[in-house]
Amino acid sequence: MKKICMIASIVAASFHASGAMAEDALKIGLTGALTGPVAGTYAPAVEGLRLYVDALNAGGGINGAMVELILQDDGAEPSRAAANAKRFITQDNVVMMINASLSSTFAPSIAETSRAGVPLMFAASACPQEVFPPANANLFCTTAFGAKYDSHAALQFIEGQAGSDIKIGFQAMAIPLSRGEIDYAEGVAASMGMTPVAKEITPPPAPDYSPFASNISDAGAEWVWSWAPWGAQVKTFEALRRLGWSGSYVAYAHLEAESELARVHDETFYLVGANALFTENLPVMQTITAAAQAAGSSYAANQLTEGWIAGMVIEAALKAASDPGDAGSVRDAMSNLTVDLQGLRGGPLVWTETNHFRTTQSYRVYRWNAANNAIETVQDWTSFDVE
Amino acid sequence: MQFAVNILVLASIYALIASGYVLIYRVSRVLNLAHGELMMFGAYLLVTTAAGLSSSPVVAILLALAMSLMVGGLVYLFLMRRMTGEMALAAVLTTVALGILLRGLILMFWSASPQHPRDTLGWENPVLMLPGDARISLFAALLVASTILVYAGLFAFLRFSRWGMRMRAAGQNPLLAAQRGINLHAVFALAWALSTFTGAIAGMLIALDSGLDSTMVMIGLKAFPAALVGGLDSLLGALIGALIIAAAEVGVIKYVDPLLADVIPFAVLVVMLVIRPWGLFGTREELDRV
Repeated sequence: MKKICMIASIVAASFHASGAMAEDALKIGLTGALTGPVAGTYAPAVEGLRLYVDALNAGGGINGAMVELILQDDGAEPSRAAANAKRFITQDNVVMMINASLSSTFAPSIAETSRAGVPLMFAASACPQEVFPPANANLFCTTAFGAKYDSHAALQFIEGQAGSDIKIGFQAMAIPLSRGEIDYAEGVAASMGMTPVAKEITPPPAPDYSPFASNISDAGAEWVWSWAPWGAQVKTFEALRRLGWSGSYVAYAHLEAESELARVHDETFYLVGANALFTENLPVMQTITAAAQAAGSSYAANQLTEGWIAGMVIEAALKAASDPGDAGSVRDAMSNLTVDLQGLRGGPLVWTETNHFRTTQSYRVYRWNAANNAIETVQDWTSFDVE
Repeated sequence: MQFAVNILVLASIYALIASGYVLIYRVSRVLNLAHGELMMFGAYLLVTTAAGLSSSPVVAILLALAMSLMVGGLVYLFLMRRMTGEMALAAVLTTVALGILLRGLILMFWSASPQHPRDTLGWENPVLMLPGDARISLFAALLVASTILVYAGLFAFLRFSRWGMRMRAAGQNPLLAAQRGINLHAVFALAWALSTFTGAIAGMLIALDSGLDSTMVMIGLKAFPAALVGGLDSLLGALIGALIIAAAEVGVIKYVDPLLADVIPFAVLVVMLVIRPWGLFGTREELDRV
């Protein structure tokens, strides 16, 4: 019943709030893949953001003004994302728009917000090239994973563990972003002296991952680097294990990673990620857990980090803006922003005029420790300058 | 040998799902485009029964299967029955709407997080060694066995049972069947129930083998070419079609390029539509009705 009430509240939030709040609130529009096959990647983050905004409003909002988060589902369809963006700008007069959806929805979102001068922030969705230096003035990204940097972090970790004289396999999903990253990683691995022996691009999704895993196993890969949505990563790994493959597997730590690491409990299944896992039990993690429990969230608290971070950034941007009710003012504030993420990542999120990704990207590596029956940090924060 | 096992497992998945498309089309001439969602819904029902009856795994599975059977019947009684006598296109569009509704309901009640009913039930998924150093997981082996049992059961049911004969009669000539006293609504409801039941078996076994999330619906769609290649009104055709599609897909993954895995089922389908539009074992009359 609690779940249904929560879902009803989300649905209610997708409509205009009535009365004074709708008049005075600082409106933020979010178009996201809340339903459809890829919802698992985005819906928990949106839930985290919603909880953060609720907590922010409960604490008095931004200088007394409430923040109204208008949620619109786009089902990862570009046409619906375009309609949502148009509505946010022409009807709702939002001061900021957020995209939490597939990259196919980026173009219409960017076009609409750029025309109106409303800042567009990507949260949980992939960071587009335009947020990296030299950044587009209107586009920003809080999402943890970052193309190219993720592969460098993973391959450096593998090199540190096993040296360069190894056979390495790759796994990606048949979507442009994932394929592009794995193609890039293959080149980097070769330049590091590693021998790429297999590159499996799996469909979204495959009914059975064994045929792909067979190729990796037959090629004699000792290590595998996988950069794809969570299901493809973990299912390829489990298919490899079923085939008797005994190598080591490195995957990106998506939202689902923490719960899944405990389920898979394999000591050579490593996760490279930019978000801290909740095993640390930091105060901010306790706050997120309490908020999730109070709201009866259907998602584990450790899946809400991305949304929570987006909420922290929104709060900081609105507070820093000279006029938080004006989109241009909010955009200017976002272009020179430092947000203390309280340990949720390896350092603060810093945006400058030319860098709307972050100036430093940090990674940790985790795995399951069977002896302790717990997740352990294999490699502490390693930072890369984003230039 | 592992190559053959991979084909067999994939073919079983496609065949089990395709049987649901065929059952409904054969009896009522409706193309059920919500079959993937109904399959996924069955798997999510197992998530619920497993959570409530984790100490009695077999009961949890049987209950989920019984509920799937019931869901299929109810879909017909409360939705598809209204479409009887309407244009086939209206019925097909209704199934599209049903699919969208089911996807929303699943997200509302079970969230978009990955689910692992096997862990909830406390079961392991050991690897079975086969000749030629091939390997298969227990639940993949059960999937193959279930496909054989389901098809054997359906062939026997349609050929020898009274209700099976009624279903065949309704499929061949509904007007004549009705004039002979066959209750068409009961026959159609049974077809929907059985179709959802077989789809749910596939969904549950996939979920028990490798987990469950909202992407499962796309697996349901991937089985569609198997049904079309075999002939939409032929169970035997679905079986053979699934084998052809799976062999082509696994062969391409191994020998050509894994990237083509998504394309090859539809490439085979296009070739079949050009050469023999009614499928390998379908009948030409049925195609005319389409």
